Amino acid sequence: MLIWLLADPDSSKHLAFREMLEEFCAHFPEARAEFAVKTRRSLWESVFSHLRDSKRNPLADVIEIPHNWTALFAKLGLLYDFSRISDDFNPLACPGFVAREYASGEGGSVFSAPWWMEGPALFYDQRAVKAWGGPPADKNLSWEEFVSALEKLSSGKGFRGRGRSGGRASIAASRSSGSYPLCFSSPAGSIGLDNVLPRVWSRGGGLFSQDLNRASFNKDETMSGVRDMLGLAVNGYARLFSPSRFEGAGCLDEHSAFIFSPRDLCSGKDAKGGTLEMLPFPGCGQLFPVNISSLAIFSGTSSLRQGVSLLKWLLKPERSVSLSAAFSVFPCNKTAFEERLEGSRQEALYRRIFAGADLKPNVTVYPTAEILFERILWNMSLAIARGDYSVEGLTREMIIAQGEADYLLSLY
Amino acid sequence: MKKTGKDKERPDAPHHAYYSGQEEFFKAALEAASRRFAPDGVSLYEYDEKTSLMSLRLRMLRGSVFEHEENFMPEADSAALKALKNLQPVSFKGPAGYFAAIPFRLDHSGASPRNFPAVSAGFIRLERYSRKAPFSRRECAAAMSYIGGFLRNYYKAEFSSLNEKYSRNIEAITELTEVFAGSLRVRDSFKRILAGIQSYFGFDRVRLYLIDEKNKKLKGELSADIRGQVKSIGYEEIPLEAGSHRFADIVLGRDSGAFMERYKDCVLYLPLAVQGSNIGLLIVDNLLSQQRIAQEDLVLLKSFAGQIGMAVDNVRLFDKVEELSLYDELTRLPLRRYFNQRFQEEFYRAERFKQPLALVWGDIDYFKEVNDTYGHQTGDLALKEVGRVILSNLRKIDFPCRYGGDEVIIMLPQATGEEAMKFAQRLLEELSEVRIPVPFSKTRELKISMSFGVSTFPQDASSQEKLLEKADSALYWVKSHFRGRAALYAGTVAEESKGPRQAGAAAAEKAPRADAFAPGAPNKNAGFGEKYNVND
Repeated sequence: MLIWLLADPDSSKHLAFREMLEEFCAHFPEARAEFAVKTRRSLWESVFSHLRDSKRNPLADVIEIPHNWTALFAKLGLLYDFSRISDDFNPLACPGFVAREYASGEGGSVFSAPWWMEGPALFYDQRAVKAWGGPPADKNLSWEEFVSALEKLSSGKGFRGRGRSGGRASIAASRSSGSYPLCFSSPAGSIGLDNVLPRVWSRGGGLFSQDLNRASFNKDETMSGVRDMLGLAVNGYARLFSPSRFEGAGCLDEHSAFIFSPRDLCSGKDAKGGTLEMLPFPGCGQLFPVNISSLAIFSGTSSLRQGVSLLKWLLKPERSVSLSAAFSVFPCNKTAFEERLEGSRQEALYRRIFAGADLKPNVTVYPTAEILFERILWNMSLAIARGDYSVEGLTREMIIAQGEADYLLSLY
Repeated sequence: MKKTGKDKERPDAPHHAYYSGQEEFFKAALEAASRRFAPDGVSLYEYDEKTSLMSLRLRMLRGSVFEHEENFMPEADSAALKALKNLQPVSFKGPAGYFAAIPFRLDHSGASPRNFPAVSAGFIRLERYSRKAPFSRRECAAAMSYIGGFLRNYYKAEFSSLNEKYSRNIEAITELTEVFAGSLRVRDSFKRILAGIQSYFGFDRVRLYLIDEKNKKLKGELSADIRGQVKSIGYEEIPLEAGSHRFADIVLGRDSGAFMERYKDCVLYLPLAVQGSNIGLLIVDNLLSQQRIAQEDLVLLKSFAGQIGMAVDNVRLFDKVEELSLYDELTRLPLRRYFNQRFQEEFYRAERFKQPLALVWGDIDYFKEVNDTYGHQTGDLALKEVGRVILSNLRKIDFPCRYGGDEVIIMLPQATGEEAMKFAQRLLEELSEVRIPVPFSKTRELKISMSFGVSTFPQDASSQEKLLEKADSALYWVKSHFRGRAALYAGTVAEESKGPRQAGAAAAEKAPRADAFAPGAPNKNAGFGEKYNVND
């Protein structure tokens, strides 16, 4: 049995999974299991290579996928329907918002099992509080307050990170003295969809209209959300494609006052000696984007029994807690989720985030639309880093992508 | 990625290893470096000179290799760029530990498709976290020598995958040429052509549109998806006018050239031309997966465009020839020869599965007089209208034919006598509404009527010949009694049905503005020893 796991910036996920798999094989001596780690892009390509030539490109027996890829892969006939074989994948064992999402399958079908989840948030270094005045008492930081704090920090009067200058610094970097009050924890180096989406949603935009009948890339609310987020790099508050990670600094620039991250940086192994505090994503109001990762079984697997056993094994509350703690995320099992929340230093805020959880739509064309959107953000990030970003360029790309997404909607 | 048996015995003998793909090759390189130098971690970085991006692709930690996605722009004075620039190993220290960057530069010019860089560069990074000692110059040199030696095998891996690719191309050319050359029978042929393209190229979707010259339209034919499922897109009709639709512009040559790549290389429009004129459009796309169509696939597909066009045109010509030989051009009804063949098959089916089968035999009343009075052109118009009315009233399983002259037969599988009579009645009603324009006549239009005789299997006959004979008898009976009616052959007792209403004739009389060839009275002497049920 082969398992494909999604790549993670934190290798602890893979190492923890490997240990769990070894335990599983020891517990079920007849089971032969190995796993490979694939990036989202590589997994996507492998799936389509399989569809093109299944003999030359076999699919793994068990795959980890973002929850909103489920509808597409199920439609392509790639996923096994758990509801045919077992009640162990009852979505009701998950927190309410997850259960609602997973119980919506046609005719009671369940094509993937929720595994772990994360809620993007803003983390700040307590040492920087003095420089920007700190968050409001209700911990609701508006977008304007956030930008104003960044401005204060980058003006150089307060908290400053380790200065960097020269090299391939952006326009913005040259504007300031080379310090960056904000960093994105994403290893891609660019501003990605997961960075932008919370701001786009809070502006009232999105990839598609509410009824999912039209793409809305070019809608004012979407455009302004994207511009806000890219503006953070354009204005020199954050450095894109930062080399700090290469030098072994890990995923976080310790000298930034603010960090956008979907991981719980205040608890567990990532806790930075208690210097980090957390805030919900600025300007999000009551709805917070939450990402869910799922496990699915390939419909053509020859190791169905082993696959089902593995999933049951992995989804047990105790293992969910232990795996999610390894890379600072939250388990989807209700009992494990509660246990993990209680262990978080930011329990109250995470309760607020998950109570207002808003998930990406699980519809056929959404994953492709995400690719289109990511491509624009990648091009724009490169343009920012090169110093030739323009709003006109962004608008042009959005208009073209909008047309493509609408065309896709008409086809699928 | 098969290693030779010999190699398994000598895991550190890179020059004897063979790999069939780049990814597997690099994984093996990390594993080999890990075995040889026992670092805490090994990573593979690639450098893109165009974007100045350094990208982490693979990472090996505690015995496992993971794919990664991490990008950064190195500082000008960074160890990473220094190593790459000089192609010399560099040892350096970071906040988390000690590292050694072992650079490489691979030249794939000749093996790479045109739109991919010919040279790739990067380095393998050896990482030491636990032991607080930097990589020495000697260690770096040893690593450079070992990894350099291993990477020389890259060309073998490239050659192997290239060889596989060429074999596939030859296989595809052979297979597809056979498919295209052997495509003749219309429905299956289009399906075969699309399935052939999909089986080799594997696009997300392939769609075929053909020009309908007569109606000036571009009509959808078939679509095949990535799973090989083929479905009709006959509902898609695009006016063949400039500016009406992008597809029409492409076919009309109003768009930017014969071959167009849109949507960032995910879509290819392939106009199909035969002898200089466009006959349709083939559209292939990878829109769902958003994967670029490979350059070599584009080249191959373009080189096949002529063959595909010819194959599609052959299929259409075959269809045309078949239509001419099997169908009557005037009425669009199948000809007698074709009917006989289908009648034989259906009769056999009815016998075997004990299902009813009805025959409706009809002819146009006073057709000879119509021809003599109004001319053959008017007669032809009448026949054309009869064909139209019949074709518009059939179920999918029914089969009509022009049996000869003004005679038609309609075979109704799985239909009882009663159902066949209802069908005949429907035809009579619709025919009563038909008006043939006759500009030189007083009323300027002509009304026509038909008579029908119906027989059914198994009630009336046990063989094809007998069934035809009984339908003919029933028709003869109608013609000799009423006209404009239908009669069901119903036994052997000589008794005329009581009080038949002459619906057709009556209707004709009620239409004074049209000339009508309807008899004043039925021929009461026409009974010939059999029983008929007459409709009204």
